[in-house]
Amino acid sequence: MTDGDACSVCDALARARAGDTAAFAALVRQHQRAVYSLALRMLSDRHKAEDLAQEVFIRLHRKLATVQSDTHLRFWLRQVTSRLAIDRLRREPRHELVPITEDLPLASEPAPGDPLLQRQLRVLIAQLPPAARAVVLLRYQEDLDPTEIARTLEMPINTVKSHLKRSLEQLRERITGAADATASGRDATPL
Amino acid sequence: MSNDLEKELRAALRHVDPAPGFASRVSARIDSERHGRWLPARYRWIPAALAASVMLCLIAGYGWHWRREQQGLEARQQLLEALRLTGEKLDVAYRGVQDVSKSPASGNAGNT
Repeated sequence: MTDGDACSVCDALARARAGDTAAFAALVRQHQRAVYSLALRMLSDRHKAEDLAQEVFIRLHRKLATVQSDTHLRFWLRQVTSRLAIDRLRREPRHELVPITEDLPLASEPAPGDPLLQRQLRVLIAQLPPAARAVVLLRYQEDLDPTEIARTLEMPINTVKSHLKRSLEQLRERITGAADATASGRDATPL
Repeated sequence: MSNDLEKELRAALRHVDPAPGFASRVSARIDSERHGRWLPARYRWIPAALAASVMLCLIAGYGWHWRREQQGLEARQQLLEALRLTGEKLDVAYRGVQDVSKSPASGNAGNT
């Protein structure tokens, strides 16, 4: 972001704080992608994600006076989205596992790499416990370092690191296991 | 392998757009909440406080009314008792007067 962009964001924030609805709508449009993506990957349901993302922005509207800068705004949005998503997942007695065949939305632009593996990764991430899932998403979706994740989730940094380590191991094991199962299935196929 | 996995994770977790019109839906929800809530957040305790005050007033009023009713009943009892006692006294006095007027001494006294 250039200085000019940063200033325009500060300006939009100031105008939104003053009650300018168009400025607030501009802020929503600017951050909706990040908030919705985090909500979607946490909840694995488009409708629930949309509802949660809307709730985050409604809360932002009420708390605009306390938001000091664009950096603070991004931090606040990530923190509130993660917290609300974790709360909702914990309130649900047992969240549904996302089947691998479910048509989870792929990213807007075609991604480099293996699309099947990426879909499998999304499904496996949806099966992680809520806190571990939030850590993985903040690390690889929002590109935060462990210190920032610890601050966002109000979690000790060692917990963040252990969540990351364990989740990556788990993902690797499951992907390797799935690949081995596919390979052995292929070998066992009669000619 | 680790780097590959991390690269694939980043690719898998790219941002996605919400359905078109998201900002308008947020604005609509904010508007509906604003109209639904006619009081700002900091004054939202007032209706609850008013309702509690009304309830307290009703309870206090009912208590006061009940006490007054009890006092009224008590006063009525006392009045009836007083009337009964007065009646008895008047009866005794009337009988006394009658006894005096019937006695011969009172008749003679008139002749002298």
